[in-house]
Amino acid sequence: MLADFLQNTLDGLSAGASYALLALGFTLIFGVLRRANLSFGPSIMFGAYCATWAHVNFGASLLLLALITVSGAVLAGAYVERLCFAPHRGGSAIAAMVASFALWMQFEELATLVMPRHLYAFPMLYEGDPLSLGPLTLRVDTLAMLAAALAACALLWWTLYRTRFGLAVRALIEQPAAAALAGINVPWVFMRVFALASALGGIAGYLVVATHGQITPMLGMWATLKGLLAMMLGGLGSLPGAVIGGLALGLIEAHTQWYLGPQLRDLVAYLLLFVLLAARVPWMTTRSAS
Amino acid sequence: MDDYAIGVLTNIGLFSFVALSAYLLLIAGEMSFGQQAFFGVGAYAGGILTALYGWPLPVAAFAAMGLGALAQLLVALPTLRLRGLYFAMATLAAAEMARILFELLHWRRKVDGELAGPDGTQGFRGIRWIFEHGIEPLHYLGIVGVLLALVLALLLVVERSKLGATLRGVGEDPELAASVGVDVQRVKLAVAAAAGALAALGGVLYAHHNTYIEPRNFDIMLGVHSLAYALIGGLGTAFGPLLGVLLDIGVLESTRIFQGYRMIVFGGLVAVVLIYRPRGVLDERIVQWLRQRFS
Amino acid sequence: MAQAALFLIFFAAPLLAHAQSPQAELRCKATGEDFVYDCIITLSRGGRPLAGAEMAVAADMPTMPMAHNVRPARARPGAKPGEYKARLDLEMLGEWTIKLRLDSPVRDLLVLHYEFDSKGATPRKR
Repeated sequence: MLADFLQNTLDGLSAGASYALLALGFTLIFGVLRRANLSFGPSIMFGAYCATWAHVNFGASLLLLALITVSGAVLAGAYVERLCFAPHRGGSAIAAMVASFALWMQFEELATLVMPRHLYAFPMLYEGDPLSLGPLTLRVDTLAMLAAALAACALLWWTLYRTRFGLAVRALIEQPAAAALAGINVPWVFMRVFALASALGGIAGYLVVATHGQITPMLGMWATLKGLLAMMLGGLGSLPGAVIGGLALGLIEAHTQWYLGPQLRDLVAYLLLFVLLAARVPWMTTRSAS
Repeated sequence: MDDYAIGVLTNIGLFSFVALSAYLLLIAGEMSFGQQAFFGVGAYAGGILTALYGWPLPVAAFAAMGLGALAQLLVALPTLRLRGLYFAMATLAAAEMARILFELLHWRRKVDGELAGPDGTQGFRGIRWIFEHGIEPLHYLGIVGVLLALVLALLLVVERSKLGATLRGVGEDPELAASVGVDVQRVKLAVAAAAGALAALGGVLYAHHNTYIEPRNFDIMLGVHSLAYALIGGLGTAFGPLLGVLLDIGVLESTRIFQGYRMIVFGGLVAVVLIYRPRGVLDERIVQWLRQRFS
Repeated sequence: MAQAALFLIFFAAPLLAHAQSPQAELRCKATGEDFVYDCIITLSRGGRPLAGAEMAVAADMPTMPMAHNVRPARARPGAKPGEYKARLDLEMLGEWTIKLRLDSPVRDLLVLHYEFDSKGATPRKR
């Protein structure tokens, strides 16, 4: 019993690590722009499909695939930022978000056009046997995923707290009006925040696809849903909240799936979000959401 | 008119109900990612009533609309004070919960010696009221068209009335509306009920047109698409959402010019149009201009 | 006596209606063209092949039910009685809900689920 609980906790943390990265990406964009980018998941999918294409046609190495995924995601993110968010800055949030959904449709169709099969194999991070710690099983690639997520968070922390760019980002999140007055080049910061968020998402996407060993067009929707869910659970607009929300979501999912099955797993996650939102729990609803 | 054209026009009509449902909430100032759930409630309720209990379609449709309104109120009440992305996420969560509940719904009954009814992820087949009553596809298109026309007429009347002005006022600036004595909460709840009933009407019609429904029919794509159609068509008039649906399903899909690229073209079109017209093609400004021109 | 006969008719009619419900099976092969398939539909009723039917074949995607308007193809009689041929032009690979609209000898709509890949179609167990 205890062994099951610990195993589920471990599995939940590893899934939670990718959710945390996704949530961080969403939160960066939301914190600075006050809008949700519905194309975030699909732009990650774009990057992952670029890597799949490279794998299918050239058999690229793992590191190269990771780089391609991140670059693809950043490129897609820039496209989305230019078309959906830059034109509506200071304007209609709904228009921006619906436009980002429109681009989601574009990415999905593009993926099915260039890579028409529903499922493609993706080279796995690690093909060997999982490690055993007593009664617990730990997959090596899960460990790699946790380590990579940790490294990405550390890199993000360094960017936000040790660079001028990071200072500008934090200023925009905390005091948007004052930051603009202080002369920060807001559009420039926005673009770079998008790139940063997309890069984080690309890392998350690569890790997920490489640990599952396969990719489908559902990746876009999946990443968007999990990222949004985790971001909201941890408290909209808070970076530490995003990490906590992601890990919490992973844990909640792993445990409910064990005791109640996969359908109830999703049901519980959505129910939790709905109840927390309806109760207007203060940590969740303090930031204005345009 | 050939079968294909009838099918396309029927689909345009059916989708318009969900798009109008999203539109109503948009002009009340809220973005809902979840109207597909109420479409589904209408579909399942209507199907169960006609296929399992032999109710006539018109009565079942009314009941389905009532259930749709109730379901939307069930979501709207706890989320009344939520705004923006918070509200949108709550509707998304509710809609996904509904879809999962449809996956868990087993309501089987013996009809004519055979088990029928929703069977979880296997879906709900045999919603054959249309066939059993000899209604041709063209006649059904007529029914859908007449109902849509009635809904449009109702909405246009409301728009010109004080209620319509109040609604738009609440959507644009709820604090201002409250300060002049409008009961913002009551307005929002009324709109929610109407939106739920509309989506459910579309759902019951869809279920009978298709004779088969499954939980996957009611996923997020449907809801976000209807939101996109409502916004790009324009928030100035109830014809706006119709325009959005026509643009995608009518023009782009059916003319087959962009076979295989339709979503890429339409997605790009939506994003670009929204840059210049954030409230859609038929937004309030152009509707105002049209009214002055033709009055 | 008349009452008994009436009762029998009312009782038997739904049974008859049920027994007359047609069944269908689909076999498709991919043609060279993108997402175009040549399909053979086998219709049967009450265990026997159903010949001389007028039928149109349409397709829909489960997750976007009204948005993909695949042009319905009229089925032509095939080699054997109960077999019909139709060419389906789908928009992409994946799972499609195939709808067979029969006009004669009985009006009906049959719904089947098939997964279409680069070679042909395989039935989805639903």
